[in-house]
Amino acid sequence: MTVRSRLLSLAILIAVSSLCATAALGSRTATPKRGGSVTIARIEDSQSFDKTNVFQNESIWLAEQIMEPLYTVTPDGKNVKPWLATSFKASNGGKTYTFKLRPGVKFSNGKTMTSADVKFSIDDARKQSKGWGYLDAAIKNITAPNPSTVVFNLKFTWAPFLADIALFANGIIPNNFNGETRANFYKHPVGTGPFMWDKRTVGQSVTFKRNPFYWQKGKPYLDSVTWRFVTDENTRELQLRGNQIQIDEFPPFNSIEKLQNTPGVTMTLFPSTRTDYLDMNQKYPPLADRHVRRAISSAIDRQAIIKSVLFGHGKPANSFLPPQVPFYNPNSGGLQYNIAKAKNEMAQSKYPKGFKLTLLVGAGAQVEAAMGQILQNSLKQLGIDVTFKQEDTSTEFQDVQKQNYQLAFSYWTMDIADPDELVSFAIDIKGGGAHSFYTEYNNPTVVNLSHQAQRETNVAKRAQLYNKLQQIAAGDAFLGFLYYSPFRYAYSSKLHGFFVYPLGNYHLEDVWVG
Amino acid sequence: MSLTGYVGRRLLHLVPVTLGVTILCFFLIHLVPGDPARTILGNQATDQRVALLRHEWGLDRPLPVQYGKFMERMAHGDLGTSLFYNVSAGHLVVERLPVTLWLIMFGTLLSITIAVPLALVAATRRDGVPDHAVRAVPLIGLGFPPFWLGIVLLLVFGLHLGRLFPVGGYGVGFFGHLHSMFLPALTVALAISPILIRSLRASLLEVFEADYITTARSKGLPERRVLGRHALRNAVISTVSVLGVNIGYLVGGTLVIEAVFALPGLGQLMINSINQRDFPVVQGVTLAFAVMVVVVYLLTDVAHALLDPRVRFE
Repeated sequence: MTVRSRLLSLAILIAVSSLCATAALGSRTATPKRGGSVTIARIEDSQSFDKTNVFQNESIWLAEQIMEPLYTVTPDGKNVKPWLATSFKASNGGKTYTFKLRPGVKFSNGKTMTSADVKFSIDDARKQSKGWGYLDAAIKNITAPNPSTVVFNLKFTWAPFLADIALFANGIIPNNFNGETRANFYKHPVGTGPFMWDKRTVGQSVTFKRNPFYWQKGKPYLDSVTWRFVTDENTRELQLRGNQIQIDEFPPFNSIEKLQNTPGVTMTLFPSTRTDYLDMNQKYPPLADRHVRRAISSAIDRQAIIKSVLFGHGKPANSFLPPQVPFYNPNSGGLQYNIAKAKNEMAQSKYPKGFKLTLLVGAGAQVEAAMGQILQNSLKQLGIDVTFKQEDTSTEFQDVQKQNYQLAFSYWTMDIADPDELVSFAIDIKGGGAHSFYTEYNNPTVVNLSHQAQRETNVAKRAQLYNKLQQIAAGDAFLGFLYYSPFRYAYSSKLHGFFVYPLGNYHLEDVWVG
Repeated sequence: MSLTGYVGRRLLHLVPVTLGVTILCFFLIHLVPGDPARTILGNQATDQRVALLRHEWGLDRPLPVQYGKFMERMAHGDLGTSLFYNVSAGHLVVERLPVTLWLIMFGTLLSITIAVPLALVAATRRDGVPDHAVRAVPLIGLGFPPFWLGIVLLLVFGLHLGRLFPVGGYGVGFFGHLHSMFLPALTVALAISPILIRSLRASLLEVFEADYITTARSKGLPERRVLGRHALRNAVISTVSVLGVNIGYLVGGTLVIEAVFALPGLGQLMINSINQRDFPVVQGVTLAFAVMVVVVYLLTDVAHALLDPRVRFE
């Protein structure tokens, strides 16, 4: 090759590379377009928009589009960042937090948000005894020394405080419910969020429209968003393909591959905090035996379950905390499938010859039935004879919560960017309010570590406490850690900026139609 | 007895039927295990929070007291408040009723439109190729489950073939409903019409043997008039009863079709309310279904009597 032809080749190469780079950069930094509407189809309808008392995700994720907290969760789900507040200062040994409010934030009714609104909102949230008030239990009082400053005085040092403040239930609403009754206000709530209330047909759809006073200039891009209640998964998929909807929430695992290959559809698996467990009720004597529980945990063929029910789209769980939670310890020693080890544990137990167990399975719940079959076959090798008890989902749920079961399946998704909510629920038999995830697990060392972690504000020391806690809990095998699974969304390829956080929420102010 | 008197008396039957349905439904749904408070509170359902919510809803009172309250409200036309949505249960039922009525009426109309001409073709060409085809092909509709048939119709007419119909939904306005409800109604019609075709064909063949048909033909009446005025009118009487029974079944069976076509009807409301143990709504929907079944059977009887003067209102 001559020097000239080499130079020519180099020039062509540079030109092509530049073009490719420009194209790639262009697609990444494409200018968002304003306008258009999006319809999201989901399997459940929203129950209520009273963020302080509702526990249903399909309500919470919508309420968050209207009502925003002082701090919000970061995209990795492990931290919080300033939102309606710009900063905070901790003092008095971590018992006083002073927040500076973001200037120029307005509600969708045009009124400016002040510290009086913040004080009212969080005072109201923490009063809700049958709602989320328990997460604000550390707050002693709130004062509003000037319109842009809010001071929280705590009863004691409380490490999860910032994560609790970022909870949706602590979203800010206008002082005194904007002059309405509490019940009426939450029928069409007002907030500072990117969208405002438009209309709702109960049991069918909810529509929000753009908040013209939104504090992030230029956002949201969409004119409106509608959530539609479509129970049948096939119909949701067909509606997406027919462009009647733009987002299909939670398509079944068995359709993921097909949707990934459907033109015009983007199928994304977002990392989530969902963790599935096998509950072992220690009120049933054999399950109070640590060796038996370790044997059962070691006999769970997690890969087979993931292949069978998640079609490979999941990971075996190795701690009761999921990877998207701060202080998750991947080396906590959560038991994995090992039949030889399981047999060894059984031999050391008080029941070396095995026993009978009943597994609660939801009627028509195919996932639970498939997992039950796999578990039944594995436990047979240990001499444990598992029979199924089928109940409709509501009854199954009640029986688990009343601890009227021996083995059952359950799961958890996080609501805050801190492990405390799940840790208290799962291991604190008295303080967590749920008899340790309804298992009656009671290890005072673990409970004590949890209480220490709640008061420890030094991040490194807190990490050590949670590491130790996870190791002991994993060794006790108080739950069978099954798998971590993603949030599944199929959506139109014309949509940009759609991102689901590990807690399940999404920021629709960033979404635009291309 | 006059028609008005007969209808009035049959409508009075609604009172004991309603009472019976409320007693059965109320106690059955409360006896089934499952707690709405626990369902709504989810994972965070601590005993304390469950007790607070149950007290707020009055579910901690004895069942007879709760039934008394329910009947007291019913007497004032109030079905109570939905535990899940916290809105009037009666309002929810009334809002969903038109969708289910559309589905039933449109489906019935389409099944008649399909069945009558095909039965006539089959009966007038007895044992010929058209007869065998008409008797065999519609059985496909009967053989396939409605949810599968619905999905296939959505795929073919909603996605392919130029997207002629929307993929589910109820539509807006009369023509919107007509457009959106065509495929669900067709699914209903394809399930019912094979039964109607067979029933009407058999009746027509029987009627063709009657003396008055021979007389009509011997008078030189055109065949179309013989068929329409003499044969069909007499043959349709038994088919009306068959249709009535099938619509009665359909009232309770709309939920599958409503789910496939994303129709916000009573069937969907019923299923969701049962899952959520939303007692007032379950009771309201059951009551609406009971009234609809009684009205359908009443209309069947009235149609029967109007078509056949020998039937008296007694």
